[in-house]
Amino acid sequence: MPGLFPVAVIVASLIFSCSKKDDGTEPEQPYQPHPYSLEIPYGFPTQLNIPSDNPLTEEGVALGRYLFYDGRLGGRDHPDSLMSCATCHLQQNAFECGTDHPVYTNGFTHGINGKPTPHVMLPLFNLVWNSNGYFWNGLVGPDNPDEHYRNIEDIVWMGVVVEHEMDSDTNRVRELIQSIPGYPDLFEKAFGSRQVTMRNIGRAVAQFIRTITSAESKFDRYLRGEEQLSPQELNGFVLFTTEEGADCFHCHGGSGNPLFTTNKFYNNGKDSLFTGPYEDPRDRYHVTGDPMDLGAYKAPTLRNIIFTAPYMHDGRFATLDSVIHFYNTSLVWSPYIDPLMHHIANGGTQMIPQEVSDLKAFILSLTDYQILSDPDLGPPEKFPDEE
Amino acid sequence: MERLIKLLFIAAAGIALLAGCKKETKITEVSSGKIIICFDHRVDDLPMVRDSLMYTNEAGNPYMINEIQYFISDFTLYGAGGSQVVIDDWKDIHYVDTDIPETWTWEVYDEIPQGWYDSVSFTFGITAEKNKSFMYVNPPERDMFWPEYLGGGYHYLKLNGKWLPAGQAYQTRPFDFHLGIGQIYFSYPDSITGYVQNYFTVCPPGSALQVINGQSTKFNIVMNIENWFKEPHIYDHDQWGGYIMQNQDAMALARENGHNVFTLELCKK
Repeated sequence: MPGLFPVAVIVASLIFSCSKKDDGTEPEQPYQPHPYSLEIPYGFPTQLNIPSDNPLTEEGVALGRYLFYDGRLGGRDHPDSLMSCATCHLQQNAFECGTDHPVYTNGFTHGINGKPTPHVMLPLFNLVWNSNGYFWNGLVGPDNPDEHYRNIEDIVWMGVVVEHEMDSDTNRVRELIQSIPGYPDLFEKAFGSRQVTMRNIGRAVAQFIRTITSAESKFDRYLRGEEQLSPQELNGFVLFTTEEGADCFHCHGGSGNPLFTTNKFYNNGKDSLFTGPYEDPRDRYHVTGDPMDLGAYKAPTLRNIIFTAPYMHDGRFATLDSVIHFYNTSLVWSPYIDPLMHHIANGGTQMIPQEVSDLKAFILSLTDYQILSDPDLGPPEKFPDEE
Repeated sequence: MERLIKLLFIAAAGIALLAGCKKETKITEVSSGKIIICFDHRVDDLPMVRDSLMYTNEAGNPYMINEIQYFISDFTLYGAGGSQVVIDDWKDIHYVDTDIPETWTWEVYDEIPQGWYDSVSFTFGITAEKNKSFMYVNPPERDMFWPEYLGGGYHYLKLNGKWLPAGQAYQTRPFDFHLGIGQIYFSYPDSITGYVQNYFTVCPPGSALQVINGQSTKFNIVMNIENWFKEPHIYDHDQWGGYIMQNQDAMALARENGHNVFTLELCKK
């Protein structure tokens, strides 16, 4: 028996010494895309919503950017039928539709077939710092019992199939992308396989979306000690962060939470009736079943708010002025109003005109112009089949 | 010369011998156990029921609780011989949120020397030394930030609910019973001349406990919510209104009442 040991070693050595394939080519290296380095801005969370099975990679983000902007993501290649994420999420409007969209009137979007989108859009930046659910009601989130409704990856296929967006089907999309020269190579670089799958389409687009960040507003520079706010903006900042003032900060953050959203859900006093003809199947209640969530919706970030009209989940306010006016004088009581809405006692914050003006000035200091033209976030010069 | 060489030889041999001697290390085994702190919230001795206008405080205000969030820190156990064990090996501040079950239990990392402890104490909130803005960047603790203009750092407490004001049949009003750094105003509300630290030390009554070698001692810290509004001061929502972050008089009442809010009870095995 001991005599067998040297033989085994020799055989093993022979096996491992075979460094070339039969065809003489080098053996395949393990698939190793390059990690993408995401910069965490000053004061921002260090916890990132990046699933362990879809880490950010240079190759994945690059592929996701192509798909985000490619009108063939809807599974159609006729010039009249193109639709991509970027059809609605315009970079020049901080990745929202905006009220000046060439197709959608006043910021109200509709699907490729004309079916109106039920709720207006939510901001599509800084999502990598949201682990508390997506959409106005948080339907897509970590607590959803259905594993297909947990993260940004899932929102991609939802966007493809729902009638009020691309109204397509995943097989059609997968086959079209597979047939476009250049894409299989990019999928191989990003995910180790030339086979285009809807799962990998979702993973790539989600990776790109996670790189869309906004942290270069005047207020960011103020926090970093690089620029001073004007006296009016500073006064607005005080109003924003005090209960005697407008008390925006409990739901929308502030210097201690520079995302300018808690990503939580609130009934902010817009309505008094929520059942029967007034029922909204897309409020938070229809996710949690908790009656206290009737009429509750996500508090969106106030960053870049000037580009993201119309406002509230149903777009009922066309301007920022009308939103501030609502909080100032027009709150509506209901048993479901969030307890943080203490100003309901007076129907609103009751600020004088100068204070309203100061508050608005501060909110506008949250505008990040860099995101509007950042070339890394913009459309690619050429698509893969044009290279 | 010969003598000198001899002396040097002897000295060298001596040093070599000394260096060669193994040090005798005295190994003292400190027997220790762990503690697990659970956080419980009650009203009138019964488990808190959220979102229901079923309680009446000492001032006669019907009220409900929607959510409670708070920090405790510097948890300390006091041994019979005057010794103290401060919980601070891994973390010294614990966040509790009635909406987040993971925060209701604190499995303390520290090894606690075995033995009897006469009592415990903790800071409700965070001391001025530690309560620094921007020290939490992640939720949920991040969302407790207290604006710099009002003193900075973090809320000690957010107790959010609603009450039925006197004369109202059904229309409740929100109250945000928030505690943190108070302000002294020269002219209210826009000229602050100083700040007041409102954190306080809690010594729950009847908090003797035993830590057993190799075992975990589990106990509840119970927040008896009605006591925030009860003693020594009767807190009337009709008087103080829906928000108090800029009202040091109200926060002072809360602070003084807070001494009587917590009790400790050992969990049965």
